[in-house]
Amino acid sequence: MARRLRVALAGNANVGKSVIFNQLTGLNQVIGNWPGKTVEKAEGTLHFKGYTIRVIDLPGTYSLSAFSIEEIVSREYIAIEKPDVIINVVDASALERNLYFTLQLLELEAPVVMALNQVDFAAKKGIRINVEKLSEILGIPVVPTVAITGSGINELLTTVVALASGEIKPKPLKIRFGAEVEKRVQKLQKLVEKRLPRMCAIYPARWIAIKLLEKDEDVASKVKNYAGGTEALEYAEKQAAELEKMHGEQSPVILASERYSIASKIAKEVTVTITPPRISLEQKLDTITTHKILGYPILIGILLATFSLIFIGGGFLSSFLETVVSDVSTHIEALLAFLPQEVVKPLVNGVFGGIVAGITIALPYIVPFYIILALLEDSGYLPRAAFLMDNFMHKMGLHGKAFIPLVLGYGCSVPACIGCRIMETERERLIAAFVVTLVPCAARTVVILGLVGRYVGLHAALALYIFDLALVFVLGRIAFKVLPGEPVGLIMEMPPYKRPLVKNVLAKTWSRTKDFVCVAFPIIVAGSLTITILDATGFIGYIVAGARPIISGWLGLPKVAGVPLIFGVLRKELALILLSELVPLETLSAAQMIVFALVTMLYIPCIATIAALLREFGLKKAAVITIVNVTFALFFGGLVYRLLLLFTT
Amino acid sequence: MSRSGKRLRENEEELCTLTDLAEGGRGIIVKTQGGFGLVRRLAEMGLTPSTEVKLLKKGSFGGPVEVEVRGVTLALGHGVASKVLVKPLKDEGNG
Repeated sequence: MARRLRVALAGNANVGKSVIFNQLTGLNQVIGNWPGKTVEKAEGTLHFKGYTIRVIDLPGTYSLSAFSIEEIVSREYIAIEKPDVIINVVDASALERNLYFTLQLLELEAPVVMALNQVDFAAKKGIRINVEKLSEILGIPVVPTVAITGSGINELLTTVVALASGEIKPKPLKIRFGAEVEKRVQKLQKLVEKRLPRMCAIYPARWIAIKLLEKDEDVASKVKNYAGGTEALEYAEKQAAELEKMHGEQSPVILASERYSIASKIAKEVTVTITPPRISLEQKLDTITTHKILGYPILIGILLATFSLIFIGGGFLSSFLETVVSDVSTHIEALLAFLPQEVVKPLVNGVFGGIVAGITIALPYIVPFYIILALLEDSGYLPRAAFLMDNFMHKMGLHGKAFIPLVLGYGCSVPACIGCRIMETERERLIAAFVVTLVPCAARTVVILGLVGRYVGLHAALALYIFDLALVFVLGRIAFKVLPGEPVGLIMEMPPYKRPLVKNVLAKTWSRTKDFVCVAFPIIVAGSLTITILDATGFIGYIVAGARPIISGWLGLPKVAGVPLIFGVLRKELALILLSELVPLETLSAAQMIVFALVTMLYIPCIATIAALLREFGLKKAAVITIVNVTFALFFGGLVYRLLLLFTT
Repeated sequence: MSRSGKRLRENEEELCTLTDLAEGGRGIIVKTQGGFGLVRRLAEMGLTPSTEVKLLKKGSFGGPVEVEVRGVTLALGHGVASKVLVKPLKDEGNG
């Protein structure tokens, strides 16, 4: 029988961790979310020397504190699930900063193998690292790798198996801080061992002590749940306060300084810098793309290229799939002809309507989007775009990174909502996603241009866009003020540019698409089925009648306009198509057209977006965003209608 | 919100914020100010007291800055960078 091993990959972002993951698992991987968290979880399996090895790619973080959800997810996994081996992927060209993370893995007393990655890139920068010495100092195995070419991967696996089977006996470095800090850590550790034996069964006592001294809010809240926790907490607070008084710094800063001075010392001892690096092509590319003036036209160019690729590619795929899918559904209807039609029709329409919407609207745009996103991620351009737009994004209460999902929102809200993951904290993610749902996607553009642009004039369509942008700014700011939590400014690594690997890009695209289909499709189909059943049973009529005071009374639209607005939830451009079937568009007044387009632009993003929101934020937050959107749509719809009446009569 | 341009005197030595350094200028971090979360984050990214930083680039319109610290390039928002007090190193631009 094959023996099983559980291995986790851990390390900083931008060190080639996902490349190593792909080298290890190939296409044999699943990307999902950590339960209840907006954090991507990638898992895969491989077979090696009679072992079945399950590999988990932990999120890339710079630390293991409680700053971001990613960091908590990672350290909880390491402490509680206790994987057999942790592969700590380290960027050889930035050893000092990477060692800061390694030291924290050792604090967690995890069984670590270090993959010293990008040794080739480090060599190019003139940095050479003495691997044996590094391994000796840290007391853990260190394997040099070049993940991109796959060099060192086999040796890495051999070492992992050797460590897991006890063939290698590591003697991990016992980290000792400066005297004042160390004294307090040890005192606290003794108290923790005595007072919190049950917690010490899960987490190392010294680690708990360090975290308490660092005022780690997550550990503190856990400690409180144990009997004797309050005493330990009070003692830790006293010790931290003493240290802070002595150093004039917050205790986490003192501990970070301690770790960095150890990391710096080790890095200096094992690193030889041979030649002063000369200016490389990557550096030139960096200078141009973040240039004060030149950077912006380049950014606009890249965005335009991205959009046209997504739209041309997506539009082509979409119309192609539409013909295929409609053929298939005619066949299925024919096959089911023997059944009573009043039952079959709504079912087929509902289920297939949903699947068709998913296949023909969402997928064709999402797949090209995922490919381009992976290219932009892997090349290192995304942080440059964020750098350029940071100032602008602060005006709406977000920082530079949020620019990326926002722009994606003009294409399709679904990938844009998923793209909000690049923000560090749940708070920032939520604000970004909320703002993104208000940005008119391609389908809403169809309604705005097809109705207002065509019949009222382009100036009116443009006015709608400007109104929307203003609304995004104002509501973004309000969300920024209302949501609890400390806002985070931009603190972001600017990794050097790299050539993206086709294999990596495709692997990412494939697993993300798979994840989207599994999660979003059932929701889209269920929603579609509900609406068609409501229609077939005549309930839509009641809803329209019930909504009449809002549709006609408040918004000033013809009462049948309720139907396209309800069906617009399935896909926004459907709102316009249905409206034109119910009322000749020319008979609508300019004010009615503008109001209809405005409401369509703002009210609940389509069902696929709701699915994405559910997926990312859970029921409650998705519902709040949806309700807020509908409320604003109706409020501004009625308001604008009245204002327009004032001006036109 | 922003503290840029404001010089602070401490122990007779002239200190300035990171945003006051000129492009290519170097400084030694003296202190990071701001909320608990920000100060901790900066420390974790390697911006701890008595560390040397080099200002690589300033964004336009009072935008973010790019700095080099511990061999790594970081982008810091203007608000974030203005919370980092440094002692400028001599013979290099400081403002």
